[in-house]
Amino acid sequence: MAAATSLEHDLKLVLIALLVIALSPQASHAELNVLIVEGLGGEPQYAERFDNDVTAIEQAAVSVTSAEHIKVLRRDDATRDAILAHFESLKSASTESDQFVVYLIGHGSFDEYQYKFNLPGPDLTGEDIASALNTLPAASQVLINTSSSSGAILELLENENRTVVSATRSGVERHATHFGRYFVEALSEPGADLDKNRLISVQEAFDFAERQVGDYFEGNGQLATEHARLEGDRATRMTLARLDTARPEVSDRILEELNGRRVLLNADIEALRNTRPDMSDEEYRRQLLEKMLELAQVEDSIESRQAELDAQ
Amino acid sequence: MKTPGSLLLVTICIVLSCNDAEARDLHYGSVTDASIARCDEAHWRGQIDDAAACYSDVMNGDAPAAAKAEAAWALADRQLANNWFRRATAEAPDDMATKVRWGDLFADTHQNAEAMEIYREVLAAEADNAYARLGAAHVLIDSFEAAAEEYLDELLSSPVTPDGPRLGALLLLARASLENGNRDESRSSLEEARDILARNDWPPLELLAIQAASDLLDGHDDSPAIAESLAYNPHYGGIYSTAAHYFVITRRYREAIDLYQKAVEIDPGLASAHEQMGINLLRDNQVSRARRHLEIAYKSDPFSPATVNTLRLLDSFVDFKLISEPSADGEQVPVTLRLHQDESAAISPYAIELIRQSIDVFTRRYEFTLREPVVVEMYPDHEDFAVRTAGMPGIGILGATFGYVIAMDSPSSRPAHQFQWGTTLWHEMAHVFTLEATGHLVPRWFSEGISVFEEWKSGPNPGVRIPMSVYSAMQEDRFLPIADLDEGFIRPTYEGQVLVSYMQAGLVCAFISSHYGDNVLREMLYRFGDGLDTRASVEQSLGIASTDFDEAFADYVSKEHGSVLERLDQWNETQARIASQAHDGNWQSVRELATEMIAILPGYVESDSPYLALARAERELGNADAATQALTTYWTNGGYDPAALARLARTRNDAGDPAAAARILYSAMLVDPLDIELHGERGEALLAAGDAAGALREFTVAIDLEPHDMATAWFRMAKAQYELGNTAASQEHLLQALDIAPGFRPAQRLLLKLAAESAN
Repeated sequence: MAAATSLEHDLKLVLIALLVIALSPQASHAELNVLIVEGLGGEPQYAERFDNDVTAIEQAAVSVTSAEHIKVLRRDDATRDAILAHFESLKSASTESDQFVVYLIGHGSFDEYQYKFNLPGPDLTGEDIASALNTLPAASQVLINTSSSSGAILELLENENRTVVSATRSGVERHATHFGRYFVEALSEPGADLDKNRLISVQEAFDFAERQVGDYFEGNGQLATEHARLEGDRATRMTLARLDTARPEVSDRILEELNGRRVLLNADIEALRNTRPDMSDEEYRRQLLEKMLELAQVEDSIESRQAELDAQ
Repeated sequence: MKTPGSLLLVTICIVLSCNDAEARDLHYGSVTDASIARCDEAHWRGQIDDAAACYSDVMNGDAPAAAKAEAAWALADRQLANNWFRRATAEAPDDMATKVRWGDLFADTHQNAEAMEIYREVLAAEADNAYARLGAAHVLIDSFEAAAEEYLDELLSSPVTPDGPRLGALLLLARASLENGNRDESRSSLEEARDILARNDWPPLELLAIQAASDLLDGHDDSPAIAESLAYNPHYGGIYSTAAHYFVITRRYREAIDLYQKAVEIDPGLASAHEQMGINLLRDNQVSRARRHLEIAYKSDPFSPATVNTLRLLDSFVDFKLISEPSADGEQVPVTLRLHQDESAAISPYAIELIRQSIDVFTRRYEFTLREPVVVEMYPDHEDFAVRTAGMPGIGILGATFGYVIAMDSPSSRPAHQFQWGTTLWHEMAHVFTLEATGHLVPRWFSEGISVFEEWKSGPNPGVRIPMSVYSAMQEDRFLPIADLDEGFIRPTYEGQVLVSYMQAGLVCAFISSHYGDNVLREMLYRFGDGLDTRASVEQSLGIASTDFDEAFADYVSKEHGSVLERLDQWNETQARIASQAHDGNWQSVRELATEMIAILPGYVESDSPYLALARAERELGNADAATQALTTYWTNGGYDPAALARLARTRNDAGDPAAAARILYSAMLVDPLDIELHGERGEALLAAGDAAGALREFTVAIDLEPHDMATAWFRMAKAQYELGNTAASQEHLLQALDIAPGFRPAQRLLLKLAAESAN
């Protein structure tokens, strides 16, 4: 019995270590590169909106990676050549352990054969995007395409290492989309942070935006002209923004121990949730209360220790 | 021109029919076949079995196709009748009389467009075919189309119109006159019709039914026309159902139900009576009984859109929740809400509060105590509301009151900025009082006037709100004399006149209230209950002739609104300039123009209110306080745009006045109670203001609406329960929040606080 418990404990630690790596690219020497592209707005209202969206995304990106890893291409600078050149530069500068997030903010089109993201000069095609992403070493890739017809490239981009968010489910949803503005809103919206860890994951931003789009059409009594899609199974683990300021890493034994306890407790809670179907409600609540109180005390201790360290 | 071949295509619409259907209408000579005439005579005398046997004999014999069609129709087999008419017209394409009857069959099965095509086809071939004109007039008058009048004029003015169509036209005219309230004209038409009947020995049943309706509307319950009709044919249900129709259109639904009941007792197969009885029973909240009659109607006449629509609506009631609210203090009547299950939790607390408040206000002002429970239904789909109200989709109103039953659009039926459901409910509640206090005798204009007046005076968003289109009508001097004001509602002559009439009626009541007092307004109401018309009620209550009243009212309007009317053009020009300046981002100019507009009409708070433009301009110019001030004035004047109110509430909350924020958000709830975040924000404001019970109510509604962020929603519940001292409930909600989001720090802190307090 004791041996089994020990084994469980070891396995748990491995899982926790993996979890920590997945959630914190900065802490594990992996880099998070972000490319934000603002396409042609056409009408002034869209140009203004895309401009604001890109600014908000840039602010969100700064909260999860350093400025030198963020590339923003706006207006006349956002050409097909400039985008592909940036991919080319990342090819040599990044490694397999890196993460890469691309935002395409603008209008798209689809002529039954080819998807195009509208840019000054030649447009960026679906094939361009797939080819550029396929050549990158970064094993973990996220593409967020908020344009009309963006669903046209879902199949083209299918890859087990890749998470793809599109504002539409296919190329034939051609109306200018609302999804983008809600997705961007999610990056700074506490209400989108469903697990209250102060981080906005791809999944959380997508869920928030998808619901807002549904409410928009329902509230206006209109048939929905867009249906967002999310492909890939890493969306809950990929962080796009944090809602509070990241603390500088400090080396402190007490803090490390407390963080370790927090991780263990979270794992215990997750395990408890998984066994819920086998328990009575009363027993589940009793155990949950116990774990939650313990976790709350650990969090208090972490806050206190951090305050002590800040004061030093 | 439609060929007989193409006519065949539309006949596929006629499907199976049943044997209990009501018989076809009287045809006054349009059917000349002798065998059918014999059967008809028995039928119209009420010798039902003999008539049925007679028609069957025709069907089984070697009668012409057209006669067989008539017999099948009389036996209520409309599909077979259609087949025989098709054959008859194919065999004799030039037989226009049969073709007209085929058109009549289409009209009888509610396929008016197809019927009209046949009548037009006949008239193209025979321009003077009077029966085709009569058929067309019938169809068009049912659709309230003015062209019906032209057909009737032609029939009645032509010296060569045969007796049959002339009689039909006179009876149609008598019905229309009665509908318009013109009893003298109706009687005159009936007199002329009586002579024709006597000359031709046709059944007098239809004439007697109109005569009886007129008598009953005059309060003569012992109309000799009823006795005469029953003596002629004891099974003619039309003698009662015709009168019932006129009670329906004067909103006396219970009297109508009684008459329909009598109609179906003597004529159980009268589908139209069952249908109307069902629809009117619904207006009296007798749902099960209504369904029974509608199902009978459907069995007899599956072609009626009103029957089918209403039965479908009843089927949808499974998605609705009935919420019964007994009177808390025993003084008020109980209230029942029928709300869609997805919306009931969000709407019911607010609706019940408003209904209770309105009952309190109106009971005192009109000195009338409600005698029965009030039922309020709200429909998320406007067309369901329309079917509930009129049996058919396509009406433009927001709410309807049938007495103690109100049906209205729910807040989700329209975009939030278009519809103040709270004000609509208040408006309809005023109708409950004006209808019930007068035994439903109040004229339309006065009932609407009181309702609009109460919206302005005591409603949840008080203040005189007149749309700009109505100011334009006032400028063009389009207000009607008070004695004719009902016409503006019932028979509008220009687009938008109904809205203009609503506002005029409201202003009339406001004028009477301010110049004569609420007691005189109340006295007028009771005069209407005594059966007086508008002229008499004005003379007796106000002591002046209605024409003198019109002059005084015009002076009042000029005094109250003259300055606005003089500057209406300036207003319109300035508004257009604001739009272009805002588009160009010239906020300084927007501020100046909006201020100019506010000086013209400070109380204007519709969706294009200058206050909203001013607030935006001030915000863009960095003047946060001025923006808040603009929105505050907008709100206090009755502005209701929920997004603007939410913004204003946040500024009040940030300024440390959560109680004000909660009040502002209450106004927003009366527009958009389904906005989850508004409930959350209002709950937080109430909690901060010390009203934990109110906060819990808001948070409970938010949970019921299934918010995206459930962890926060449960945490809010926990906070409210904690403030109320319900620690067990608070802990339970905290666990619900933390189960979703274990790292939710505020919830963790409250959990530790609870544990610490429990340990102590």
